Amino acid sequence: MVYERSKARYVLLAPAILYAVALTIFPLLYALYLSVTNYSFGKPTIRIVGLDNYLRIFQDYRVYNSLKVTFLITAVAVPIELALGLILAVLVGLFPRLQGVFRTLLLIPLFSTPVAVALMGPNIFYEEGGPINGILISLGLPKVYWLSDPNVAIWTVILLDIWQWTPFVFLISLAGLQGIPVELYEAATIDGASGYQMFRKITLPQMTPILLTIFFFRLVDCLRIYDIPFVMLGGGPGISTETFTIYVYKLAFRGFIFGYSSALSIFFLALILVITNVLIRRLSYYYV
Amino acid sequence: MSRKGVKKMRLSGSRIAALAVLIIFAFFFFYPIYWILITSFKLPKDCFTLSFIPYLQFVPTLNNWTGQFQESGREIIKCLQNSLIVGLGAAALATALGVFGGYALARFRYRRWSNRDIIIYFLSLRMLPPIAVAIPFYILMAKLGLIDTQLAIILAHAAFFLPYSVLVMRDSFRQLPPELEEAALVDGCSIWQILTKVALPLTAPSLAAVFILIFTFSWNEFLFAFILSSENATTFPVFIAGSLHAAGVYYWVLSVRQLLAIGPPVVIGILLQKWIVSGLTLGAVRGAR
Repeated sequence: MVYERSKARYVLLAPAILYAVALTIFPLLYALYLSVTNYSFGKPTIRIVGLDNYLRIFQDYRVYNSLKVTFLITAVAVPIELALGLILAVLVGLFPRLQGVFRTLLLIPLFSTPVAVALMGPNIFYEEGGPINGILISLGLPKVYWLSDPNVAIWTVILLDIWQWTPFVFLISLAGLQGIPVELYEAATIDGASGYQMFRKITLPQMTPILLTIFFFRLVDCLRIYDIPFVMLGGGPGISTETFTIYVYKLAFRGFIFGYSSALSIFFLALILVITNVLIRRLSYYYV
Repeated sequence: MSRKGVKKMRLSGSRIAALAVLIIFAFFFFYPIYWILITSFKLPKDCFTLSFIPYLQFVPTLNNWTGQFQESGREIIKCLQNSLIVGLGAAALATALGVFGGYALARFRYRRWSNRDIIIYFLSLRMLPPIAVAIPFYILMAKLGLIDTQLAIILAHAAFFLPYSVLVMRDSFRQLPPELEEAALVDGCSIWQILTKVALPLTAPSLAAVFILIFTFSWNEFLFAFILSSENATTFPVFIAGSLHAAGVYYWVLSVRQLLAIGPPVVIGILLQKWIVSGLTLGAVRGAR
């Protein structure tokens, strides 16, 4: 700390805090107000309806469906991304010469515009002979209905999420691994530890804070998943890939039902607060 | 065979296995991109066949690229321009706020709300589901008459990526040795002078990286850009999202548009490799520099 006390500290920090209050906190409070009204486009009067909108949530089967879709995608994709990204980082660590190439290669999915990735879907997963099914067919294997089968489509979304976000875990893990003191491994080698033992007893404990950080960012980003299932499938076939954000989007911006959709988004916000509250406190220690 | 020899062999065996795994995954990550790339040089009739190697399996053509710009060139240029303006505007706004906020958090100690509380505040903003903000934001922008303007999207994106710029800038200021700033303080410089003449020039590379990375985040953002634009302010991702229904299975059209969208952020990402680790974790993890 250079300066202990100076009025300048408020002047410097205020714009950022106030900007966030004006453009994030204030809109959220406004949403809180909307959530107890019947506001929608075309309705002449706004009426306070109390908790009606919130009670409606529990009778709405599409809420259950979209929560199921969102949590299934998150529960499957995030752990796979974490495991796969870490493993690839450890393996690339064995080949220092390949690191640059691999890092560059994996940056491509990570920085690709999600909408463009979604639009690749119909081409990559072309069911009658695209680059995946075409190979399956020529190998005499059955076709997979990647996009048209409601039971499969959600797994296609998960696959694309893994494709795009494993590189994130990989890059952060690689940086983390390089931060582990080499002496630890040297000492373990002298003691005759196997590669697996070193991974288990040195790498994993040393990586815990970083993996937790990665987990936090993947969790909050995966729970809000929208772009890929929406652009590629519109939440379909049927409502099989309708995530929570997609459902709320449809209510608010296609049905123009702002009251109920605000209640849903506040509900979702509360849910995410509960899930991430513990993590965020833990995470804040890494900053101080 | 000596014990040492056995160990060495086993080691090389496992190295080969590791290499095989890496090659398989390199293929997994690159295959879709390669397919889209060659699709953009295929004639429509070749788009539905399993052909991989230009000249050998199909005759490459530039028709798709030139055709795109002849047919809807004006629209494409307009939307690219919008993406550029929105990205630059959001990056400038968020970076400016982030420099001051980040410097304050790095060098001052707050009492009523501790520094950690303020950091939690910004981290919490990063965690909010965008859809919760989107609905009231849309209504407020409609009331202000800002729907379908670049300004509305700039304001939204700057709010969105503010936690990123504050926390990453804070981290890069903290990495500076405080002695220089202390010396300037003793010499009678004002805090403003110290920030602009001493600290900021030293973190100029971080500053540039923050700015450019926010530009790519804004470029890639879809939900807010989609909600807040209808015709004039349409960004490029919003434009191509609409083309799925219009272009249907015209893969050769879509692939050109996908590559136009992906190109800038991917090139930037590759050029700024060493900055993105700290960037993507809001400064929690530092990349090897």
